[in-house]
Amino acid sequence: MPEAIEIQLKKGALELCVLALLHSQDSYAYEIASRLSDLIGMGEGTIYPLMRRLQADGLVETYLVESSAGPPRKYYRLTEAGKRSFTTQKDAWSSFSGAVNEIVFGGAK
Amino acid sequence: MTRQAFMARLREGLRGLPPQTVAEIVADYEAHFTEGEAAGRSEADVAAALGNPDRLARELRAEAQLNRWREERSPSSAAAAIFAILGLGAIDILILLPILMGVAGALFGLFIAVIAVFFAGGFLFAAAPFVDPPGGTVAGVLAGIGLMAGATSGGAILTLISIGLINALVWYGRLHYRLLKPALEPQG
Repeated sequence: MPEAIEIQLKKGALELCVLALLHSQDSYAYEIASRLSDLIGMGEGTIYPLMRRLQADGLVETYLVESSAGPPRKYYRLTEAGKRSFTTQKDAWSSFSGAVNEIVFGGAK
Repeated sequence: MTRQAFMARLREGLRGLPPQTVAEIVADYEAHFTEGEAAGRSEADVAAALGNPDRLARELRAEAQLNRWREERSPSSAAAAIFAILGLGAIDILILLPILMGVAGALFGLFIAVIAVFFAGGFLFAAAPFVDPPGGTVAGVLAGIGLMAGATSGGAILTLISIGLINALVWYGRLHYRLLKPALEPQG
């Protein structure tokens, strides 16, 4: 079952990672997908259902930017609600992962 | 898989969604292929990295149906949302179906009862002046109005309960889908 646990963890962390990327700078889906698949090894296609959900929930909004290669790119940026959600999720992640680390690695130290 | 084959399977999986939504989703994935090619990757490479188009379509479809239910409270959007959740395999249909049937049956029965009470009230209201009920005509008319008002508010409460139940189901399905489904169908 280690694989299943790994995939569950990654899927759960994906939204937080997307919010974090967009918090540092606006980006387009291809860039987000390729950065995240490098980082945590998710299927790149997974990003699109997630972006649509974030948009429907009002956490991100889109705007078009002319691109040198082909048609204009759809950029995503965090809304105010998105920034608030990022802060909340970041805190939750930090206290959760801190507690887990302490239990998992605490005895080994 | 070629770009064309991937897009064809995606479109197939999205059939039945509003054309506007399908166009947006298709444009997103087309742009992904274009970006990938500009970066020097092959079509097969990009398609493989995207994952299974049928699975993606299922997830996108569920997302779209849930949004429709959020925007428009109608029996048809409720049914679409429930089926989308069931389609994800987030909830075991064998466990859920008997419960769902029981609850839906009970709600339906209550709705019928409310409608019957409403008509009984209307009849009493209309007939009271002619048949001289016990307690007098005025009491009969007032009782009729009271029954109709009671039935109307009962109906409103039942509608709110139905909406609440469907929302709870949707919430439960999404929660479990997000956590469990990727573990059951590992990818990339």
